[in-house]
Amino acid sequence: MADYQQSLQAKLIRFGIYAVLVLMALWYLAPLYVMLSTSFKTLDEIRAGNLLSLPGTFSLDAWSAAWSTACTGVECGGMKSYFANSLKMMIPAVLISTLVGAFNGYILSMWRFKGSDMFFMALLIGTFLPYQVVILPMAQVLGWLELENSTGRLVLVHVIYGLQFTTLFFRNYYVTVPGELVKAARIDGAGFFRIFFKILLPISVPTIMVCLIWQTTQIWNDYLFGVVFSSGEGQPMTVALNNLVNTSTGVKQYNVDMAAAIIAALPTLLVYMVGGKYFVRGLTAGAVKG
Amino acid sequence: MGALSIRNVKKSFGNTHILKGIDLEIEKGQFLILVGPSGCGKSTLLNMIAGLDDITSGEIAIGDRVVNKLSPKDRDIAMVFQSYALYPNMTVRKNIAFGLDIRKVPKPEQEEIIARVAKTLQIEHLLDRKPMQLSGGQRQRVAMGRALARNPTLFLFDEPLSNLDAKLRVEMRSEIKLLHQRLGTTIVYVTHDQIEAMTLGDRIAVMKDGEVRQFGSPQQIYDAPADLYVAGFIGSPSMNFIPVQLHEEDGHAVVELDNGRAVQKVRLSPISDSQRDFVGKQVVLGIRPEQLTDPESAHSERGNLQTLQATVAITEPTGPDTLVTVTFNGIKTVARCHPRAAGAPGQQVELTLDPTKALLFDPASEKRLA
Repeated sequence: MADYQQSLQAKLIRFGIYAVLVLMALWYLAPLYVMLSTSFKTLDEIRAGNLLSLPGTFSLDAWSAAWSTACTGVECGGMKSYFANSLKMMIPAVLISTLVGAFNGYILSMWRFKGSDMFFMALLIGTFLPYQVVILPMAQVLGWLELENSTGRLVLVHVIYGLQFTTLFFRNYYVTVPGELVKAARIDGAGFFRIFFKILLPISVPTIMVCLIWQTTQIWNDYLFGVVFSSGEGQPMTVALNNLVNTSTGVKQYNVDMAAAIIAALPTLLVYMVGGKYFVRGLTAGAVKG
Repeated sequence: MGALSIRNVKKSFGNTHILKGIDLEIEKGQFLILVGPSGCGKSTLLNMIAGLDDITSGEIAIGDRVVNKLSPKDRDIAMVFQSYALYPNMTVRKNIAFGLDIRKVPKPEQEEIIARVAKTLQIEHLLDRKPMQLSGGQRQRVAMGRALARNPTLFLFDEPLSNLDAKLRVEMRSEIKLLHQRLGTTIVYVTHDQIEAMTLGDRIAVMKDGEVRQFGSPQQIYDAPADLYVAGFIGSPSMNFIPVQLHEEDGHAVVELDNGRAVQKVRLSPISDSQRDFVGKQVVLGIRPEQLTDPESAHSERGNLQTLQATVAITEPTGPDTLVTVTFNGIKTVARCHPRAAGAPGQQVELTLDPTKALLFDPASEKRLA
């Protein structure tokens, strides 16, 4: 009898916990739901005014408009070319900053030189610098470099701004790798680059995943650098989305705005779904393993 | 010319002198042990032999080649590390082949070498596993296999057994010794464990504070330690050091031991010239526990064994022997007795001392008075 009572009590508590969790999840998912359902509605349906209702007819018009015909400012080519811009900017910027960060981390942990700790400290300070502080000096540098291409400019900016983070991730991982590994490889006859590419890089998969996710999110979602350092047709997705939403001719097309916003968010969402488990594993790899 | 010559080698970082002029030389096929407490510079010296650390001054020659300026891969050496340092992303086979690949050894020959090494170390069944899937002892074997595959003129071992548990350590120790006897290669082996040093080495260099305190065969170092440090470091339980006043009688060194009830005169070996300078002065008498034992266990063929009375303070049975702690001249002194003759705390026991094995040290310079 007592057992039965206790298990009933336990079940009730469990039910309560799940109920709260489900409510919380719904609360957090509500905006996404509104965005999704709005994007499938027609403008008439939206004007009818029920934010939470399901779309009466699943219309993909808003999505195709957002992708290829919506107006961002004076041009009306949709988001597709800007989406491509963002990809063209993000992929090289993420790969370069990750690789160079790994290389920096390798040197700062395995090949310490006089002043390498100072160098690392300086990089660490870089992680605390807000975007806004970088803008003016960066504009100056880009001017000196006479780099005209928007994508090229943004790749450079993002690589430089991302390096302190990727270096930090890799350095903190490599200090947990025993230095004897490098010594053994040196005695085996491996050189500086072979040790890096054949031994250290292959064991850094979790850290590489952290860097890829971190940098992809940062670079794809960046608005400020995009709006400052690019112009016209070279602008990234985020800037285009802003232009699309703020274009003030005619009727406000909420369904198109929502579809465009979801399109803009998709890549980072995808990266988290695919690599999310590596993210936590990689962030804690150095801390737990030792 | 020896297989390895270290001539006046020094290592400094600014004003910190890690090694203060090391001179060592071993012949081909010898097993050299560098032993000492942590921070004595033994690992630094090994790294310098390997070429992983720069030499501040002096000269290191492997065979008849001075290797000061050569990179590790050109020194014809192989090294086994304390943490095994196996490449975690590669299988055992790839771990062994890594160095061979770099030196462009043809594939068929690589296969042959791997098969031979795997057979020698009985790791054939592990070749396709990753290091993560191996036990500590197996990793240790693979690390040695990687070194063997290189077939170098000089093997370097950096505390290779420290990460193993006690039982496995003893097993691997005798295996390393067997391997050395079979292959006849020259080995330099760093350890902080004096038992490893005694059991493995042909030649032992006892180091402290960046200096070699004594360099010799294990028995030399055990029987005739150069100074108090070496005497206390080698041997377990360690040597008893009793402060005494030195006298001379009929050409023999004589000391007095006070057991708390009575003062007993102990007649040691014929006095030497260097000892004669200390007559009437304080010296340190060094006796190993096994040379202070019960009359039954003492080697009776030696005619001049000295008999001493003492009061037992504590007894520590180890199985074959019992360690009996007594007091002489106010100093706790350990004697190694037969369990039956150990007595009990508070009891009087009779102990015999082999005077030919007793050593005398200068308390100021800590050197042995030969």
